[in-house]
Amino acid sequence: MKTNRVMQIQPLTSLAIACSNLHSPFLATLKRPALNGVNCAIRAGEFVTLVGLNGAGKSTLLRSLVGLVPIQKGTIHINGVAVSFKSLRQRQEVSILFQGGGLVPQLTALENVLCGSLGQRSTWQTLTGFRRSDRLHALQLLQELGLDAQIYQKTSHLSGGQRQRVAIARILMQSPKILLVDEPITGLDVLAATQVMDVFSQLHRQGITIVSVLHDLTIAANYAQRAIVLNAGRVVYDGICENLPAHLSVGRS
Amino acid sequence: MKFFASRFKSAWSKRLLILGGLILVYGWALRGLKLDLEMLNQSVPYTIDFISRLLPPDWSVIDVAVNALVETIQMSLWGTTIGALLSIPIALLSAHNLTPSWVRWIANLVQNAVRSVPSIVLGLFFVSATGLGAPAGTLALGIYTIGYLAKLYQEAIESVDPSSIESLRVSGASWLQIAQYGIFPQVLPLGLGYTLYMFEYNIRSASVLGVVGAGGIGFELVNYIRGFEYNKATTMMLVLLVVVIMIDGVSNQLRRRLETL
Repeated sequence: MKTNRVMQIQPLTSLAIACSNLHSPFLATLKRPALNGVNCAIRAGEFVTLVGLNGAGKSTLLRSLVGLVPIQKGTIHINGVAVSFKSLRQRQEVSILFQGGGLVPQLTALENVLCGSLGQRSTWQTLTGFRRSDRLHALQLLQELGLDAQIYQKTSHLSGGQRQRVAIARILMQSPKILLVDEPITGLDVLAATQVMDVFSQLHRQGITIVSVLHDLTIAANYAQRAIVLNAGRVVYDGICENLPAHLSVGRS
Repeated sequence: MKFFASRFKSAWSKRLLILGGLILVYGWALRGLKLDLEMLNQSVPYTIDFISRLLPPDWSVIDVAVNALVETIQMSLWGTTIGALLSIPIALLSAHNLTPSWVRWIANLVQNAVRSVPSIVLGLFFVSATGLGAPAGTLALGIYTIGYLAKLYQEAIESVDPSSIESLRVSGASWLQIAQYGIFPQVLPLGLGYTLYMFEYNIRSASVLGVVGAGGIGFELVNYIRGFEYNKATTMMLVLLVVVIMIDGVSNQLRRRLETL
């Protein structure tokens, strides 16, 4: 399989993410584990899209990489270091952007972005607010993402695309090396979707490894260098983003 | 065809069974009341007599009523605030999206224990502790409030968007940081609304507490009724009614504002 070839060619240390024979716990509703022996390798600096039908295990795979899904069998290497379910949670170089962004709707865009720095500061340091350097960093990120006018607006009043960009700014507060993204443009109009995808493209050029679940195969092919197609918890295709619909429907039969 | 017929039949026999069960339960409860239709008929003149003695209200005690009412509002304000502050930690510890199950079990036990004590009993307890008057009533209201607000706060906390909490958790935020920046802003509008409702409700329960001597308008009300000065008691009730309507209106407005937060 192509996956294995990538793994063999690349020494483990130059890989950002390497999963081998990954199994998640058995799910009674699916009558199988959500991840049923996933093998994949992602090099540092790659832009990879994860595609597959609903229930194929795309989100579960992303969540397993940040320690939100216990691993039953198999191994995960991040930047060449084998990691366990527990240690994954403490890793700052991997960040995940959940579907819908996971913002706190009652807080302003700026406050939401500042929340991205909570992990780097102690509870005492953030008890009365955020330090000046963090505020400046957050303001700068919001401006870079074209949200100057929305800085002090509650995120519940923002559009879907603006919310998604706020969520990206929050992630960037952690200066991640690897960014996992779950369906970032679902429910966005074409213009907002393009804006959001362009941000990822720009981050990719800055050297951040990006792994994104996408449902729009045209957009996936436009932005990602490589596609990994999942079906029933396994990788069924791993390669260039060509003829993706055919690979998806192969998985279906 | 036969299959459907039997399905249909079993559904109907099930409904009949439930109906029969309900009739039995209501019949059993009615027997417990020892209701007598004859007695009900005879009671009508007594009821009319009682009501006629309430009228007309004696407005000479309006100043007593207003003073007692102000005291009631003061009791409710402090009682609700004390109760709300005590409810926050209990609610946090009983929310299933935050706390491990064994801690939740203890916190729920505390909630249920407080809720099962009637306000009158709390009033009597604090009257014996601090003597007759408003302080006893205020403390009783504070404890009484926990039984309800802790539950309402808990539900507000449990309705928080889980992905927002997960995002913060994954970024390495501590439990307190998640509570401060993730949960508190989302719970605040709903929580304040519930607290306002409780304040309003406590004005009414404060009048009941007066019966056991724990201060407020209920104290005066019961004294007039015991002294057969029904016209003066009516004044008390009318003043209470006006204030309850006013506070209801104001808090409705405030709650509507909170929803847009």
